[in-house]
Amino acid sequence: MAPVKEIVASNLSTRAPTLELSEIQATVLRQRPAPYFGTHVLLRIDDVRAGRELLRRLTPHIDSATSWWSADNPWLFVGISYAGLEALGVPHDSLQSFPEAFRVGMAARAGQLGDEGANDPKHWDLPFGTAEIHVGVSAFADSEEQRRRVLAIAREQYETVSGISVLGTQDFGAQPGDLNPLGYKDGIDQPPIEGSGVEPLPGQGRPIKAGEFILGYPGEAGVALPMPQPDVLGRNGTYVGLRKYQSRVGAFNRFLRANGSTEAERELLAAKLVGRWRSGAPLTLAPNVDNPALGADPRRNNDFNYANDPLGRQVPFGSHIRRMNPRDTELSRLTDVNIHRIIRRGTTYGTPYDPNALSEEADEVPRGAYFLFISAKAMATIEFLQQEWINDGNFIGAGNERDPIIGLQPDGATFTIPKEPVRRRVHGIDTFNVLRGGEYFFMPSLSALKWLGERE
Amino acid sequence: MATTTTQTQTGSKQPADAQQKIEAFRALFADAPELGKKALENVIAELKSQVSEPRAKVESAGRVGARLGQRSELTMIVPLAPGGAKRLRAFLKMLDGNLSGGADKVGTLHDMRFVFIDNDTRMLFATSFDGDWDVYIDDFVTKIPDFLDVIDSAWEGWPGIRSPQAKDYLVKHQITAEGWYAAHPDLTVADITRLKHIGQAVDEFLDKLGN
Repeated sequence: MAPVKEIVASNLSTRAPTLELSEIQATVLRQRPAPYFGTHVLLRIDDVRAGRELLRRLTPHIDSATSWWSADNPWLFVGISYAGLEALGVPHDSLQSFPEAFRVGMAARAGQLGDEGANDPKHWDLPFGTAEIHVGVSAFADSEEQRRRVLAIAREQYETVSGISVLGTQDFGAQPGDLNPLGYKDGIDQPPIEGSGVEPLPGQGRPIKAGEFILGYPGEAGVALPMPQPDVLGRNGTYVGLRKYQSRVGAFNRFLRANGSTEAERELLAAKLVGRWRSGAPLTLAPNVDNPALGADPRRNNDFNYANDPLGRQVPFGSHIRRMNPRDTELSRLTDVNIHRIIRRGTTYGTPYDPNALSEEADEVPRGAYFLFISAKAMATIEFLQQEWINDGNFIGAGNERDPIIGLQPDGATFTIPKEPVRRRVHGIDTFNVLRGGEYFFMPSLSALKWLGERE
Repeated sequence: MATTTTQTQTGSKQPADAQQKIEAFRALFADAPELGKKALENVIAELKSQVSEPRAKVESAGRVGARLGQRSELTMIVPLAPGGAKRLRAFLKMLDGNLSGGADKVGTLHDMRFVFIDNDTRMLFATSFDGDWDVYIDDFVTKIPDFLDVIDSAWEGWPGIRSPQAKDYLVKHQITAEGWYAAHPDLTVADITRLKHIGQAVDEFLDKLGN
């Protein structure tokens, strides 16, 4: 089967892109290679001049979205937190033009995000939850060798400027079989973006207005979102939310064993939680048994809607993919599904998934995901998702049940699987991905990076 | 929405707190008319037990407004534009004062009322709904903008629901309720619909069993 990038390239539109691709950072549009390799680096700016020099040196190495559909070469991208913009000496009026949730940072929005209990910022890993994270630099590559090569270029810039401190680095990459820490293929369903120059893949739906994802273009409401000022700073930029999850593999496996007596029962339950088999094959197209060939085919693995599954008997209403993109599901609250989509760039780190790990120690073996989501209103969208689609079920008729994969489960939580003649309600679902950090970054255009670096 | 847990008052210090509150009630009514003082004494035992029991706490519903469990209240007094009252009153009358057709679709609204006050120069708008008030504003903008603007265009200075200033306009005219009661603060509109269906299904089942 052809790699995703070739499939995407073969879908090039006959219409020229209307977005200013040479200004937009590549990662906004370019998907992970398969398999993928990479590193996240978190930096602190100790001195304004050092911060500006860092950006001047780094910017020539940041890829634009020109030819974003080709992921043959490794690439770097950069995001700047609000504290980082302050450390760069961005003028007061300009700082004030950023949305409030961005200015106060993700930890301060814990109330709106429902990050309480085990997900409370007081339990986060350092440096998350402090105001020290100023700049995030990340590398994506399609091989380990290329990862090292492109990371070396980044290091040449940030390690040789005095006044820049490295707070932490995290290597990440696809695990054997291209699976995430709970053993699933992920990152399949991405929103198609109008004007990007590529036709949607089958099942992706109509292209969504670019302004939902990139600042300076009309959004679904017909107008552009308010943009940070001056224009050169805001236009063609976007926001990236980062959430670091620790995957509790032991708890996940214990849940499957407690509720499935055979391997087949456990795998069906695992598929019901997500709405896809571990291979990526959707339950709507493969309701009874896994179909790995279907899961691996990007032209088929997302080509479905819920017209023939109105009662959730194939894909439960409360499953992860039906929550995160309800498609044509009739929702109980007036909702425009197209304004709550995010571009997802999940990056898996740590020890690969082990189906036999059952201990509580296995819950704390470092592994999980640095989950990146990109949107022109990333803060508002993730707060909506956390409140409505992740930590509640009312919108889709799932009562107060929560997302089985990324929800924060209270004691006595359940997961309902619609079924004939009566539904099955599984008790004792636990929090399988615990939040251990998070921050909001502004992902400036290439002109904005130059503007930030060249200010005096 | 389930993200905000309903807090309850903690147990240990209650008796002392309750006694203090009783004294505070009496102090508050020291300069009240005799009728009020007498009434207070008649209900003081009941008030004491009310303030002693752990109860759901009324919290803030985002930027403004009060929230009880799953529900929030929104009360606004807005100035009416010239001719706005006449037009809106006639519009509501043509719908027999009943907004159920459109409002049903929202799925989070428990109730809404539109009251013309001060000789039709201002309007009192009061509603209660599930979750924080601004969560679905963006959905209104793309799904039902014209229904909102048909009504809200009667308001003086309403910028239009599509305007980025719409939220600030609402906040500016909103007044948080100091007291509020909801019989079932733990049930959302979706919960109530679901429970009605379950009730009907159980009745059908029992009817069949009983025949």
